[in-house]
Amino acid sequence: MPKDILKASSLTVSFADHTVLDCVDFSVKQGEVFALLGGNGAGKSTALKTFLGTVSPTSGDAYVLDRSVKKDINSIRKNIAYLPESVTLYGHLSGIENIEYFLSLGGINRTEDDIKQALNRVALQVNAWHKPLSSYSKGMRQKTAIALALLREAPVLFLDEPTSGLDPSAIDKFNQLVASLSEQGTTVFMVTHDVYGACQIAHRIGLLHKGGIVGMFERGSNDTIDTEAVHTAFSMRDH
Amino acid sequence: MSYFKDIKREAGFIAKQKYRVAFIFAAFLLSVFAVWSGITETQTQQETIERLIAKDHTDRVNVQSHQSDFGSAAYYTFHLTYDEPSPVAFAAMGQRDVYPWKHRVRMLALEGQIYETDADNPELSLVGRFDYAFLISVLMPLFVILLLHDLRSGEREAGRYDLLTVTTSNQKALWLIRAVVQSAALGSAIVIPFVIGAIVNGASALNIALIVGITIAHLALWTAIAYAVSGFKQFASMNSARIASSLLGIWLLITVVIPVAGDNIIKSAVQSPSGGEIVLTQREAVNGAWDLPFSATWDGFLATHPQWADKTEMSSLFEWKWYYAFQQVGDQTAAPLSSSYRDAIKQRDKLASYIAWMSPPMLTQRVMTAIANTNTEAMMTYEAKIREYHADLRQFYYPLLFNDVEFSVDVLEDLPRYTTNSDEAKHTQQ
Repeated sequence: MPKDILKASSLTVSFADHTVLDCVDFSVKQGEVFALLGGNGAGKSTALKTFLGTVSPTSGDAYVLDRSVKKDINSIRKNIAYLPESVTLYGHLSGIENIEYFLSLGGINRTEDDIKQALNRVALQVNAWHKPLSSYSKGMRQKTAIALALLREAPVLFLDEPTSGLDPSAIDKFNQLVASLSEQGTTVFMVTHDVYGACQIAHRIGLLHKGGIVGMFERGSNDTIDTEAVHTAFSMRDH
Repeated sequence: MSYFKDIKREAGFIAKQKYRVAFIFAAFLLSVFAVWSGITETQTQQETIERLIAKDHTDRVNVQSHQSDFGSAAYYTFHLTYDEPSPVAFAAMGQRDVYPWKHRVRMLALEGQIYETDADNPELSLVGRFDYAFLISVLMPLFVILLLHDLRSGEREAGRYDLLTVTTSNQKALWLIRAVVQSAALGSAIVIPFVIGAIVNGASALNIALIVGITIAHLALWTAIAYAVSGFKQFASMNSARIASSLLGIWLLITVVIPVAGDNIIKSAVQSPSGGEIVLTQREAVNGAWDLPFSATWDGFLATHPQWADKTEMSSLFEWKWYYAFQQVGDQTAAPLSSSYRDAIKQRDKLASYIAWMSPPMLTQRVMTAIANTNTEAMMTYEAKIREYHADLRQFYYPLLFNDVEFSVDVLEDLPRYTTNSDEAKHTQQ
């Protein structure tokens, strides 16, 4: 029985007099791909930021690898990788230099061969590796950031709207990559408002609405999530 | 070791940001210009002094050879006094731009000779001299603000802040090292031209170290201010432009508002006569003496020089001893005003030193001018030396005039010579 890697326990986050997350409970097991689905203002980005430690819980707690984000965020950060929605690495550095810089920030040593291997894995064109990132397309920047996440070899991967702006072919490759990571035991937590994307990639989807989990959808016997059911629930809540 | 690696990484990172490198290079060029213009100015002053010393001697020998009595010799002979720039004066010209650093004095009443040149250089009063002290105290904080105001907000605006926060193993160290590396690069760009200029100019290692220390301290202060402001939670939602505006507000307050307001308060709190009033009072006393009975002059003169009481008899309507006595009385009449003027300058300077503790840029300038020997105290010391020298001249001539000694040019070889502190130091070494 895989253990819980991520856990939200009565997680509540308020800003001034506005409650963004209201007593949320869920957990994610090792190797699982969990998608938190919701419309604008549902609280999904806040949930993600709480696990990253950039937003503090007002009450309750969030745990990564049994460590509390309130008490042990530095230890948590050593064990996670994060792919932001809008990947804006440093434009004046090349793809390789960006990766080297961010790895160095985390105190992680990787050889140039390791970096090239990761870039190959995400299918970033070789002739772009040494060009400044300012010349990259959004998809190429996304691939660079994914390579960085892979090189961190973190047991937990956080994704923020990971396929937004990618073309269908790139989305397909990205989904394959996430599936492969999951098979290797990496736990993936993603937030998205893309119902179909979430159903394709996730083992489980939590539907978030006005700061609370209002539905949980799992893969059925055919190893897929019922897209229609999720879509219906999402539409009902969102409109 | 870890910090060394972090510093190396951030230094490499900054070195690849062309606009930051260009900015730091611009600061380097400004420092080169400030040092060069300071050295050029002090060299010009030094050359002027050397030229005047040579001409002063020639002129004196020439004038004295044409005289037939000591009264005429004292009247026509000029004596050069001067205040040489110190080897680090180029870095902080300070009061040398306001007060005269050379005077040619005669045996006549002194107050008028000192204060007739009591005029500011209006151009410099308006804009200030672009010297190293100005660069350090006024411009360097602006450079720090421009470099560091977007330390965190720039990353937020670029959407990298969360990624950096999550990725870095020590978030606080990241921002601190970034700030320190940029400030250190800026500081090096500014300090290196000064150190080279100071070595070329023959400044002492202690003075170089002190000025470098002040530069680093002022840089560290503004780095800390910019770092703290950009890190305040209250500023987390502000964009870079607003943070820069806030920092510029702090700069304006402590660099401009406090010194200007302080100056106005000091001027209204400590009243002072003007140099012009002193000159006028002394001249009126001297000119008026021609129309007064001899006894009016002698009464005033003998009050301070009783040793000449039995030498005041006059055998004609004009005698040099009477002429120099009423010059002396002219100085005595203006003495209370002159003393009050100097007391006011000292009092204002003292009050300014208190206000400087509320304005680090002002404090920086004051400390630098103190090291460079270009502060108000140094200028007052020079003025005191002129007074001492002039008193020596009077002490030399009075016995010759009152004892009616027969004129000989050879006697004038014993005229007191004006010496500066560096002359005295050289003399002691010999």
